[in-house]
Amino acid sequence: MFDRATGDRQPASRTTEVEELARIARSLRRDVINLVAPTGQGYVQQGLGAADLFAVLYFSELRLDPLDPEWPDRDRFLLSTAHNTAIFYATLAARGLVACEAVHSYCGDGSPFEINASERVGTVIEATLGSLGQGLSVGIGMALAARRRHSQARTYVLLGDGELQEGQLWEAALFAGSARLSNLCLIVDDNRMQVEGHIDQVVTVAPIDAKFAAFGWAVETVDGHDISALLASLERARGEERPTCLVARTLAGKGVPSLEGLLAHNLKLPPTVASRALTELSQSAREGSR
Amino acid sequence: MIAENDRDSLEVLDFTARNASAAPAVKHYGEALVAAAQRDPRIVCLTADLTLPTETDLFRDTLPDRFHQIGIAEANMIGIAGGLARSGEIPFVHSFCVFATRRCYDQIAMQVAYPRANVKIVGVIPGLTTLLGVSHQAIDDLALMRALPNMTVIEPCGPGDVRAAVAAVAAHEGPVYLRLKRADGADESASAKSDFQIGRMQVLRRGADGVLVACGMMVAIALRAAETLACEGLSLTVVDMPTVKPLDPDLAELARSAPLVIVAENHSIIGGLGSAVAELLLEEGVHTGFRRIGVGDSFAEGGSTGYLFEKYGLSKRAIIDAVEDLRQRRRP
Repeated sequence: MFDRATGDRQPASRTTEVEELARIARSLRRDVINLVAPTGQGYVQQGLGAADLFAVLYFSELRLDPLDPEWPDRDRFLLSTAHNTAIFYATLAARGLVACEAVHSYCGDGSPFEINASERVGTVIEATLGSLGQGLSVGIGMALAARRRHSQARTYVLLGDGELQEGQLWEAALFAGSARLSNLCLIVDDNRMQVEGHIDQVVTVAPIDAKFAAFGWAVETVDGHDISALLASLERARGEERPTCLVARTLAGKGVPSLEGLLAHNLKLPPTVASRALTELSQSAREGSR
Repeated sequence: MIAENDRDSLEVLDFTARNASAAPAVKHYGEALVAAAQRDPRIVCLTADLTLPTETDLFRDTLPDRFHQIGIAEANMIGIAGGLARSGEIPFVHSFCVFATRRCYDQIAMQVAYPRANVKIVGVIPGLTTLLGVSHQAIDDLALMRALPNMTVIEPCGPGDVRAAVAAVAAHEGPVYLRLKRADGADESASAKSDFQIGRMQVLRRGADGVLVACGMMVAIALRAAETLACEGLSLTVVDMPTVKPLDPDLAELARSAPLVIVAENHSIIGGLGSAVAELLLEEGVHTGFRRIGVGDSFAEGGSTGYLFEKYGLSKRAIIDAVEDLRQRRRP
């Protein structure tokens, strides 16, 4: 058994098996469709696009204890784009951090599982974000607190590339680089999509990597669907003496060929489309298992 | 060109110190914060490039490992404070009142007020107390902070109150906005007042002809107005109301038999203490003559505090005029 008093505690089993993580990601994609289809409310394209990131983070990278969610030395995860909850809730349920049945109340009146994740769900949602641009600042606070306690806890912040248009993000980036917060890892879900379409048709944020590098961060650009590459990047981030920014290139709708590349910020899923999406995911699962 | 050896003799001011006596002023707030932090290791201090004016240089020099210089980035500072608080620390964040509230309102709402984070937002330079002008005048901060659910709003009125308020705020679980006048050397040394309690008013003098309610710098002015009126045969109750939210409900009973109630604050008459008192009295069925003393519905300008308080009606004269006007109206 692990020793709860030490920072070496390994609270829940984790895997670096690429095949297993890919299987989990496919399963999470099915959950996204199944969560959003009945109500037609939610973020499908973003969820499908980020499924590999969530699988790698929650089933390999993060040190968490489903039996003790408030363990002070746990790693923190903050979803700054708090609307991308279909994949988030699906992951929390799959990891045993919230009850599967509870997640099925998603979007229901009175349910704590709102479209934008909030602390109503409990401490498994580390902060109420979604007012865009705030997640990195909160993550910095958590990283500073961990540093003062000499805790091994690391803080991970996931945000969208469109969110980089918020000014507060750059205040935070400047500070984290200046403070050399090595226990902070930012992952930019670089799907090039925002409400009004392709990011370059609104306000260009590229080159993201050069901007963060100039702010004193370690930077890597990685294929957000290449699980072994993501694992390797996250491992390197743990060895850095600076904060790390991983620019993860993702494809909106990934895994459902008929939806891939469709830049739809809030996509409704009529039953026929949902059913076809599930079929396509099953086909890709068969292909993936070959 | 200034010769190198002449530079040391030049006086460096930051435009918010109002006179030369400000430099050696007793830092009541800064000392009280350090004392609280020495009692409670969870307390940490954040500043946004305003260490000296917020008196947090004492904290920086005494407890450097618990001091965070965030730079000129108030929104980021509030977000960081939210993260620190969720990790069990008690952040005291500091800036001028305007930048600590209006500039980062959404961040305060989401990262401090909604989660009831144990963050203390401390602002200096309240209302019309700056030469710098409209950019630095906080005339809406009490209104903004009052509007946030879960937020406690406190404006103490003197050094003893300030020291007591810091101890009370540190012991209070939850978000607080603490609005302070900057130490300017005019204050005597003082120890913490023993009767300070969050949410409780203090009756400073009693009289049957009306009630003056004030917070912060207007308390002393209300007392002077009451003294002047006493010479004219009018006896007024003066109430120090350091907690603007939650407002002490006992005020309703105190005001019930009063022929007039006047509320004075160094803030807009909209949304601050005056509004809070009006809401309480009307909802409690207290019908009385009522006036708000404060900045009218306008922005102001830079100037000395004395000049601005006279020009914008935050004066003893304005309070006396309001008393006389209300008494005139009551006559048949």
